[in-house]
Amino acid sequence: MAVSSIIYNTFMRRNSVFVGTILFGAFAFEMGFDSTIDKVWDRLNAGKQWKDIKHSYVTSEE
Amino acid sequence: MASRSIIRTAQNVLASRLGCSAVARRASRSVASFDQKRFASNFYTTDNTYKVPDFSHYTKDGKGDDNSRVYSYFMIGSLGLLSAAGAKATVQDFLSNMAASADVLALAKVEVDLASIPEGKNVIIKWRGKPVFIRHRTPHEIDEARAVDIKTLRDPQSDEDRVQKAEWLVMLGVCTHLGCVPIGESGDFGGWFCPCHGSHYDISGRIRKGPAPLNLEVPEYEFSSEESLTIG
Repeated sequence: MAVSSIIYNTFMRRNSVFVGTILFGAFAFEMGFDSTIDKVWDRLNAGKQWKDIKHSYVTSEE
Repeated sequence: MASRSIIRTAQNVLASRLGCSAVARRASRSVASFDQKRFASNFYTTDNTYKVPDFSHYTKDGKGDDNSRVYSYFMIGSLGLLSAAGAKATVQDFLSNMAASADVLALAKVEVDLASIPEGKNVIIKWRGKPVFIRHRTPHEIDEARAVDIKTLRDPQSDEDRVQKAEWLVMLGVCTHLGCVPIGESGDFGGWFCPCHGSHYDISGRIRKGPAPLNLEVPEYEFSSEESLTIG
């Protein structure tokens, strides 16, 4: 069984399945992409953002 | 002879099918009675013509039939996926930009210092343009509120459902009939009395007598610390 035939028959035969896969994939992609890029950004700007230096400014919280 | 007539019939059928007199000269010479002009053809065959020769040496095996389609649809689909993710992020950003900003949200809440309210006293606070009644109830009043049979009430609600801490009663000071502000520590039930049309509320803010249909509304509030209350 050719791999391309399996892919075609499960995902691309019906447009409803195709579009559904794309939407679901977009959702998953956005989650993963956002978290990855956030980590990259934080690493590139380490020590400069408020969340990094907050601990040295916040006095005892009530 | 019979065999000769059979051959002639086959030749005539073949000739009519091919649309021309494509018959071998040798065969035509065997017919003595008439002499037709026929030309030699390499395609003459008495064998059936619908037999297709075997081309399997030249053809592909059919396993890669879907490759081109899958590739095309995959490219299209991934473009659609990236566009959908981008569109969703754009719409989300625009909508969150239009939502209320932090300073507006800060005005929506009000903080009350509870240490300044002694027991048995009413305090009226303005919140979002409406009066809010805060009463520091005495234990006697709490028991009185809890002793009422809920089934007899027009708007059945137990006192426990209306307060988070029993001694602090927080409600909107707007009569549920037509919106006047009830007067505290008055009325027949030891609670509030609305002077506009005579609605009596008890010590838990529930309607007892008069035209109002519902109990006094309890807003969203929380005790941000032991001595302060945040409304809204």
